[in-house]
Amino acid sequence: MSTNVLGIPTDEGMDISGVLYNYNVVKNVEDDFVVTVQNKDKEDGYIFQDTEDWSGKHGMRIQKVIPLPYTPIENIGEGSIKTTGTGTVEDATILYMYRWDECRNPQNNENCPGYVPIIPEIPNIDVYDALEDDAVDDATEETDKELYEKEKEEDTENRDKEEEDEDRLELAMAASENALTIANTATQASVLQTMNNATNVNSYYVAQVPGGVYRESISLQGGEVVDNKKAFKSLSQDKLHNTMIREQYQ
Amino acid sequence: MKKLMTIGLIFALAGCSLLMPKKVAAENIGITGSVQSRCTINTDTPGVYGNPNAYTLTTAPASAGQKPIVRVDTTLANAYNAQISYPTSFASSPSLGDTIAWTGAVAVVQTSSSDMSGYQAASTTTGAARTYPLSIAGTTWFEIESQATYGGGQNKAFPGGSYTAHVVAECIAQ
Repeated sequence: MSTNVLGIPTDEGMDISGVLYNYNVVKNVEDDFVVTVQNKDKEDGYIFQDTEDWSGKHGMRIQKVIPLPYTPIENIGEGSIKTTGTGTVEDATILYMYRWDECRNPQNNENCPGYVPIIPEIPNIDVYDALEDDAVDDATEETDKELYEKEKEEDTENRDKEEEDEDRLELAMAASENALTIANTATQASVLQTMNNATNVNSYYVAQVPGGVYRESISLQGGEVVDNKKAFKSLSQDKLHNTMIREQYQ
Repeated sequence: MKKLMTIGLIFALAGCSLLMPKKVAAENIGITGSVQSRCTINTDTPGVYGNPNAYTLTTAPASAGQKPIVRVDTTLANAYNAQISYPTSFASSPSLGDTIAWTGAVAVVQTSSSDMSGYQAASTTTGAARTYPLSIAGTTWFEIESQATYGGGQNKAFPGGSYTAHVVAECIAQ
């Protein structure tokens, strides 16, 4: 008996108090037909068995209520309708009557007497103890101070020497790099010169202007260009001048 | 002596008065009691008339009607007859000038025991009433059909309004 079958939660605390069933029997009067509605006990045998012998009777619809002593739902096993003889059972419905004792298991509701608040399980975490780590012991082991100082001085000397070597090497590399740069520049200039020499500019020298002379064809009417005094006056004001200057940058 | 005679007379009178019959006092003492019927009737489904045409009212589901279902419970076998009658008149209706033709039927549709499956076959009819001897303790469901046709065969239209009819179900001691 599960939640899917009953349509209600089947937690501890539910008792079945009865079964109501109905079904329709289709048969001929003269035929033997026996119908048993039953529910197995999970432990052994049956919780109930209700048998109707329809032998020699008219088939029709039957509805019965089977009262049961309060039976914990955990004990109720598979239910079935068993038939023997000639006939059929149609439109069968089986309803279980129940009561719900929520506090039978106090853990069902925190308001039930005896409810024990659930304490979450705390996972066991291994705490790293650096004091028990051999590597840490080795690293923190006490050392000979003089030996340490001597090693330190040697290290310093070695480091200075290495730095000095590096500087020298850098200088040497810089000198060779400069030489290469100069050489490259000279080479490029030489290449450009060669390219220019190869360019044929003779066609420009041999071109001839028709007529040989370009004469002035524009004549100035009146023969004199007079300054625009209005404009001059206007431009002489700082404000307009400044505005024009600013407009160049907008 | 005279005194003695007088005393004797007094005693004699007293003795006579004791021997004479007294006046009788009478009283009625009531005995009360009640009988709880071992047969009860309940309506499981009320009926509804459908109106498939102007001149017919019917409980047939095909005509949007609903057949009433009556449940009879008896705790004592062979003590009662269930008598169910389909309606033969309206309990309330608009004024009807013409005659109404009533038809109906009563049937057992469900029982609480296969032993009751013979109830329908064992029943008898008298007019609109059908009588079922309740030979088994238990519950029996009866379904009633009812149809009213107006117009005395001329199929006249029922006047518009509300119509009510009653099914009568009784437990009658055998």
